[in-house]
Parts: sequence; structure tokens; C-alpha cells
Amino acid sequence: MTKKILALMLALCMLLAVSAAMAEKLTVTAWDANFNGNALQAAADDYKANVDPEFELEINIVSGSSDVENDITNAGSSGDYSLLSDIVLFQDRYIKNFVENYPDAWVDLEDAGINWDDITAVKQSYSTINGKHYGAPVDNGTCIMAYRVDLLEQAGYKIEDMKGITWEKFLEIGKEVYAKTGKALLSMDGSGNDLPYIMLQGEGVSLWKEGKPFIVGNEKLKRVVELLIEMEKEHVLILSNDWTGYTNETIMQDQVAGVLNGNWIIPTMTQVEANSGKWQITSMPTLDGGEGFATNGGSSLYVTGNCKNPELAKKFLAYTFGGSKQTYDEALRKGGVVTCCISAGQSEVYGEGVPFFNNQPVYKDITEMGSKIIPIEESPFHYVLRGYLGTAMQQIKDGADIDAALQEAQDATTFYMEGMGY
Amino acid sequence: MKKKHGFGLLARQKAAGWGFLAPASLLIFVMSFYPMVKAFITSLQTGPAAKLAWADPIFKNYTRMFNDKVFLTAMGNTFLYLLIQVPVMLILAILLAQLLNNKDLKLRGLFRTLIFLPCATALVSYSLIFKTLFANEGLINSFLKGIGIIQENVNWLGQSDTAKAVIIIALLWRWTGYNMVFFLAGLQNIEYSVYEAANIDGASGWKTFWHITVPLLRPVIVMTGIMSINGTLQLFDESVNLTNGGPANATITMSHYIYNNALGQGVANFGYASALSFIVFIMVAILAFINLKVGDTRD
Repeated sequence: MTKKILALMLALCMLLAVSAAMAEKLTVTAWDANFNGNALQAAADDYKANVDPEFELEINIVSGSSDVENDITNAGSSGDYSLLSDIVLFQDRYIKNFVENYPDAWVDLEDAGINWDDITAVKQSYSTINGKHYGAPVDNGTCIMAYRVDLLEQAGYKIEDMKGITWEKFLEIGKEVYAKTGKALLSMDGSGNDLPYIMLQGEGVSLWKEGKPFIVGNEKLKRVVELLIEMEKEHVLILSNDWTGYTNETIMQDQVAGVLNGNWIIPTMTQVEANSGKWQITSMPTLDGGEGFATNGGSSLYVTGNCKNPELAKKFLAYTFGGSKQTYDEALRKGGVVTCCISAGQSEVYGEGVPFFNNQPVYKDITEMGSKIIPIEESPFHYVLRGYLGTAMQQIKDGADIDAALQEAQDATTFYMEGMGY
Repeated sequence: MKKKHGFGLLARQKAAGWGFLAPASLLIFVMSFYPMVKAFITSLQTGPAAKLAWADPIFKNYTRMFNDKVFLTAMGNTFLYLLIQVPVMLILAILLAQLLNNKDLKLRGLFRTLIFLPCATALVSYSLIFKTLFANEGLINSFLKGIGIIQENVNWLGQSDTAKAVIIIALLWRWTGYNMVFFLAGLQNIEYSVYEAANIDGASGWKTFWHITVPLLRPVIVMTGIMSINGTLQLFDESVNLTNGGPANATITMSHYIYNNALGQGVANFGYASALSFIVFIMVAILAFINLKVGDTRD
């Protein structure tokens, strides 16, 4: 009899132990061990050291952000969320669509206690749906306009001359730089061309208006498209065939004197050690002059409907990515992840000069630029539109009429959305 | 009396036959036919994945694709690959098979292996290798520049015509050896004495090939033809990995476009994607049927 009671008690103890262990454990899915994986590890260490020594974070690394996004689409369409981790990381542009389509798949962060005033407005604008916050910010997509100071000098310009200029002037300078050094002032992946989006954002103009594509009648977009085509013709801009061509050829094989993209492009630039100290960053030009600020990419953490302990998940996210200096300092040091949290961006680590950028404190500058970005209308169909706009630009380059090509891009995007019942 | 409850020998044999067939049939039904029916039902629905609703009118997804410029482009591209690549590949394969069937050829085994080897490479890896070869700073450009044929780098994958050509070349490299093996196997079944007789009758090499080899290989030609048509209509890896459908959708295939609609661009349109895949299915069926009718000489 005693044996039986003992066994029962033992079993009960184990059950308690297991449930206790489960209560302190969270799973999270991310996709880059060196980048966001490091940021998550930093957060886990921080929470373990300062809040709860029992806490455990299991980080699953998949091979790309699209793996996470496809998992969510599959889970959402089958209605079976059991395969999702407690917390998932994915690109900010998708959350609106995901919340709209699979509302039960998400837990909002309204009562998590995050000080939202401390997070940049543009970051919040992506993941706030019907007034509710869903995403805990991780990395910051603030665009940098980086120039090779030594090459600019050969053409007779300084980095200060590039601040607040018009794109017309940029084109002029680009021609001189090409004539003197043989290098282009800008490059981009031509098959996923982000430049129209980035440049328009600097104007505070979106490619969307009230949920509909805003291509036809968007005068600023037309100017941007014309400029880009002119730039490519004058060898000021290189449009590569694909993403690898953009990073591995134009940037890493040293074909450009300027880089414009989200600051996550920095690790690609620093691969070319020979150019250390020759780069500096500033804001980008605008159509009519003045500094332009934009963001491209960036991801956030989202608590899924499959989370067994949403309270712990919220507490963890609020403490760490909600504004912990320790988390963000470590994330920057180990993973090069730049925060969207305004106060965390003022820490000493952020203020340090970066040797690769001629000792400019770029990370502080980036967080500052990030706070100046004007939020614009976003759409889950962003990538669809980007594809059709890219097609239009190719057609214009091949001699098609600009208005006709843009009209076709507008129609094609509308057609795609209509097929989804939009 | 016994006969009344028990089965006869024949019935028992039949039952055993069904018993052996059952597991495989069941698997085919569950894994293949059930999804087909499901896909057809999905193809009549529209909207976001979690809230699929019946389309109104019910065949909206099907009528829609005829106004879809990208799908029509994709269909055009796929048929262009089909019309150029399949005949060239089959003719090359049959000629190579004929060459390598020669009994007096030394190192036959080695040549056969070498030609068959490309099809042992994974689709993604060979696509990526071709992409590297034809890159702006790739081997092909350096080689052509080195021997003085071109002065400046050609952007092979960045212009629609050359990008299409690269895909066709890649397909030829990958699949010719594979089809050659079928022809070689077919050639083993042709009696050598038939050739000797033709030789004695004074038939030239070309005549022997045209009047003996080709007719006798007919079943193999039909089979490789169907397989190649099927494979080309469902072409996916090359379009995704070599060119990503670009530039400006100039090389996108139907399967790639189906993928883009289903998962590729973050917004899942499973209804439309299913309808598109059904159309591809019907095209394959029609072409295979025509091929069989043309190839079948038994009636």
C-alpha cells in the first residue's frame, strides 16, 4: 500500500515538475543564427540573469524567413496551429494579412506593458492592426545611404555635399563619379527592386491609397521611375539580375561607390575589408531637395495562438525587446541587430564609433534617422506590386511608353487582388 | 455441400489478387485521387486561405485565367520551351543512342555514363551552376571574351531572349542523357540481323536509321515524348532557380506562376492556384492522348 502511495506521489511530483518546467519554457522560430538568432539568445540570457533563473528559451532556426511565413500560411489554412512555436519571427509586412486571415492565430500585446512611445512610429505602424499592437520589435529596417568618401573625393565632393540634395543632383554627381572612377553610385536587385518604394517613402508618399494600388496618377512615382531609368542608362545605377548579383557582385566585388538599403545591408558591405574606413553614411536625397528617411524590411516577434503560456511570452518580450539596454546592446554586438527602441539606441554601445565607417557612430545615427521616418500606407500585396512595377520598368527600358507600362502594372496588381476578393 | 460456404479455387485466387492490389490502390486513392478531388473543389473557391468561399460565378477562377496576362505569358513561355526543347532533345538522344550502340566503339560504357551523368545531379544544384556559368562575370562570358567572340560581358540572364535560350540549353544538358538511356534500351531489342540484312540489301546508314531504327523504336519515342511533354509542362526548378522568372516574367513557367499564387508572394490564393494546376493537368492529358494516338499503330 505504502509503495502505491509512494509511487502515486512520485508521479504527482514529476507531473508538477514537468508542468513547472513547461511554464518557464518558451519556443521561438527565427531564421538567421548569426543575426536574429543572436538577438534572441541575448534576450534569453538577459531575462534569465535578471528576471527568472529558471527561464528557458528554445530557439529553432529555419533556413529563411519564407519558411516561417509558409508555415503560418499552412497552419492558418488548415486551422491547425499546433506546429507553430510559442513565438515566431517574420517580416513586418506580412502581419496585417496574417491577422486579417487567421485572427485566432495571434495574441495581441496590448496588456504586455510595453512602453510604445519608446518604439519608433514607423515600426509600430506595420504591426498595429485595428488599434492593437501585435509585434514586439526586433530589428530596425531604417535605410542608410552610404558613400565611399574616397571615391567622392576623386570627383571633387565630400560626404556633407550629399546631404539634403535632390535626386537630379545625385544623378549629376553620379555621372562625374562614373567618369572619374568607373564605379556606379547606386545598385539594387533588379528582380526585386526596392528603390521606388524606398525613394517614395522619403517623399512621404505610398504606392498604396486606401487599400488600392497607387501607380497611375502618382506623379512622384513617375518621376522616380524616370530618374531610375535615366540613372541606369548613365551607369549611375546598376540593376543586377537577382539578389545574389546585387550583394555578391555589385557590393562585394566593389563595383559601387554608394549603397542605399535597410541597415541590415551593413554586414554585406563589411565583407570587403579592404574598404574599411572609406565608407560613411548619411540620409538619402529627395526629389525636391531636403533629407529623405525611409525603412525597408525588418521583422518583429509575434505570440501565436498555440502559445501555452502567453503571459510568460508577453512578460519576456516586454522586458527584453520592450526596451532592455542589455538585450539590445548584446544583440548589436553579437548580431549587428539595430534596435527600433529609442531609449536603447542612446546607450554607450550605440554611441561608439565604427571603424569601418571612418569611426562615425553609425548605429546612433541610424536610430536617430529611424525616428524621423514618416509612416506611409502599407499593404499585404506589397511584393505583388513590386513585382509588376519591376516588370513595367523593364518594359520601359526596352522602349515601352511609360504611362502605358505603369497602367499595366496598376491593372495587373488590381487583377491579382480581385482574384482574392479584395 | 462444402462448396456452399467456402470459395472455389478461382474465387480464392481472385480474392488473393484483390488482396495484393488493395494496399497500393488504397494508397493511390488516398495520396493521389483524394487530393485531386480536393484540389478541384478548392479551385471553385476564392478568398484568403482561412476563409475560402464558393466563387461567384462558380467557374470564376477558370474564366479569370484567360484575362490574366502573366498566366498567358507563362503559358507562352512553357510552350516555347516545349516546341524547341523536346524535339531537339529527342533527336539528339536518339542520335547519341545510335552512336553509342555501335558494337565496335571503344569505351562505350564510359561515354554512356558520361552522357547519362547530368541527370544524376539535383535540379536545384544544376540550375545554380548554370546561373553561375552564365552570370555577368561568369565562365561563359570570360571564355567568349578570351577567344574574342564578344567584346563586353553579355547579360545572359538579364535579357528575355538570351535568358530563354539559357533555360533551353540547361534543359538539354540535363535531360538528353536521360532519354538516351531509354533509346539505348530500345535498341537492344532490335535484332542485329535486321541491320545485317539491310546492309546486304545495300541500305545506307541514314536509310537504315530512318527505315529500321526509328519505326522499331516507335514505342520508346512515344513514351519519351509523353514523359518530356509532361516534364516540360510542369517545369519549375529551372524557372525559379536560374532566372526567378525574370526579366519581366520573360522566362516564368506555368508551375512557377502557380507557386507564386499559392505561396510565393506572401498572399496565398489557393483557389486560383488550384484552378491553374487543373488547367495544366488537362493540357498534359490532352497532349499525352494525342501523342498516344499518333504513336499507336496497332489498329
